[in-house]
Amino acid sequence: MQTQMERSDLTENEKMEAFLAKIDRGGKIEADDWMPDDYRNQLIKLISMHGISEIMGALPEKEWVPKAPTLRRKLAIMAKVQDEMGHGQLLLRVAEDLLAPLGKTREDLMNDLFAKRLKFHNVFHMEAPTWADAGVIGWLVDGAAIITQSMSLDTSYAPYARALHRICAEEKFHAQHGESIVLELAEGTEEQRQMLQEAITRWWPSLLMFFGPPENGTITSNQSANMRYKIRTQTNEELRQVFLKKYLPRIFHLGFTVPDETIHFDEEKDQWVYQQPDWEQFKQIVKGNGPRSAHRLNLRETSYEETKWVRDAIMSYGRHVG
Amino acid sequence: MDMNKETEVRDDFFIYEVFSQRSVSSSFVHQFSLLAPNKEVALAMARENFLRRETCFNIWVVKRDDIYGLSPEERPFLERLDNKSYRETRGYGDLQARWRHHREQYEEKQKHAESGS
Amino acid sequence: MGDFSQVETTEAAKQNPEYAQALTDLLFQLADDDFILAYRGSEWLGLAPHIEEDVAFSSMSQDMMGHAVMFYEMLEQLGVGKADDLAQLREADAFRNAILVERKNGEGDYNTDPHYDWAYAIVRSYVYGLYKQVRLESLLQSSYTPLALVSRKMMTEHRYHLMHWQVWLTQLANSTDEARKRLEAAIEKVWKDAGELYQLGANADAIVRCGLIAGEGELKQKWLTLTQGIFEKAGLVWAGEPGVPEQRGRHGQHTPELAQALATLSEVYRIDPAAGW
Repeated sequence: MQTQMERSDLTENEKMEAFLAKIDRGGKIEADDWMPDDYRNQLIKLISMHGISEIMGALPEKEWVPKAPTLRRKLAIMAKVQDEMGHGQLLLRVAEDLLAPLGKTREDLMNDLFAKRLKFHNVFHMEAPTWADAGVIGWLVDGAAIITQSMSLDTSYAPYARALHRICAEEKFHAQHGESIVLELAEGTEEQRQMLQEAITRWWPSLLMFFGPPENGTITSNQSANMRYKIRTQTNEELRQVFLKKYLPRIFHLGFTVPDETIHFDEEKDQWVYQQPDWEQFKQIVKGNGPRSAHRLNLRETSYEETKWVRDAIMSYGRHVG
Repeated sequence: MDMNKETEVRDDFFIYEVFSQRSVSSSFVHQFSLLAPNKEVALAMARENFLRRETCFNIWVVKRDDIYGLSPEERPFLERLDNKSYRETRGYGDLQARWRHHREQYEEKQKHAESGS
Repeated sequence: MGDFSQVETTEAAKQNPEYAQALTDLLFQLADDDFILAYRGSEWLGLAPHIEEDVAFSSMSQDMMGHAVMFYEMLEQLGVGKADDLAQLREADAFRNAILVERKNGEGDYNTDPHYDWAYAIVRSYVYGLYKQVRLESLLQSSYTPLALVSRKMMTEHRYHLMHWQVWLTQLANSTDEARKRLEAAIEKVWKDAGELYQLGANADAIVRCGLIAGEGELKQKWLTLTQGIFEKAGLVWAGEPGVPEQRGRHGQHTPELAQALATLSEVYRIDPAAGW
């Protein structure tokens, strides 16, 4: 029974049936296993977006690394941003191995990114104008990411799961780092509390949008396929509710507000009811038209081009005859 | 994008697998893979990329191309029949009881001998 | 080295004002060198030639900042001030780092429009690193025991950094013509400043007399020998003894680049140094 799917004399249909059966019984897929094209493509889309988001995600915090207000904070935020780039590296490797049979490499991914063909999370296109924003990013943005990543831990694609396990282990520190900064500000001076309130207000729409649009009765094709293939197991709205249930009480406990006067918890439905953010704006942002998109992409692209001589040099080292 | 860039030499980094040993008495364990142009760079990258928070006693980097393994078709052949208790401790679970039985028998005999026959 | 017998504790050091002053002066040099270079390193985040190197390079900046923190904390224990205040509230003329470490990474602001020079990053880090190696080795025999102990701890981490820079120097020096050219230009630039590294500032005599570290001449000789060996092994032309910059960083004379760096790194703290952050 186990060997049937791998025999090369099977038809595409039979391979697909066996593949779906494997998915359904909770089996895991490896990089060199047979997989339908749309499974591969969904993974490439999801994992490249995740990987590039980590790498681009380092940039809003980059401003605050040199400026962190104490020696300990300087060290902690350096470590956090380093982790993020490390996570990007892990995820890009997973995406690259999926792209290899299609003849694509990391350089292609970079070029796609600079040409705005690769989307990355909306949050990393946004402004981070104060130190409180660095705190909110660590607390709430990373908090949101942890929820999404934890859901994905039992994904059917094994290399992604292995990368996520490594990532989740480090994310705990990120959340604590963020909480630590935020609590210090919340317990601090009036000026600090105001800085923090303004940051929360500023980030609120982006945080709601982080999880992606709700189904509105029909699940979008991406979500549907990803769930069929057990690439993911919860809907956008389910994840958003987990986030709201965890963090809204804490925001209120600290005496802060969110810019939504209608927000309330519906006991009967067991969920938070909130004003929908502007989903049209979300589409624009992830396409690369957010307030800081161009600037951050430019930062990456310029440094990539200007360091080409370095990559050329180390590639040629040791490959000369004699 | 500048169209000329499409015809330039593509990045030619290799995939290296990284293995590490936690302590002198540990086995080498696989960590993850990274891209590097040559083995010296790969080794220089290994610790900071995958072992930031772990103690590390030794590191190996191996080009993925140099690793020989099983194809997806062959992997299921690794499964074994569960009929090999002859070489596992669970195949010898009766020994303890038997030693106990002999000891008890002996102790019984000793007791009778002492209290006179 | 010096006539001073071993000073085991901070308390003992505080009892002799001349010793305490010499120790303070040296500690500021050690702390400021690592702190400012770590700051420059942190500006490279997201801009390194490839992702794996970005991750690796960041570790070295963190380690170096960690060393600076250890030195600032020693100053705090001596009663000189709070470590966070020493790092962020002193004006530029109170800093005692060598000019080499405060030079900018290249044109442009780290967050706005940076055009940084990787060859300069390598050469500066490595040349400074080789001096740090010599300095730490000398400090192992410092009359101030806490400093000797802390130096021993730093050396293992630091040797790992040197391994990293060695790979880069060797590969850039022995690959393409362009890399070689850029490396040589970076060396020329670094050579204008490097001669200041082994200077011990205005209070040099007392520092050496107190047995805190070897004299400038000895440090210089050791660094020259070490660095020349490294350069020749990498196939680079030895440039001879380096020059010194116009400003004297060890005496508190700095460039506008340092003032800019300090303004940036202390920007948030200065909002309210008394507050909790």
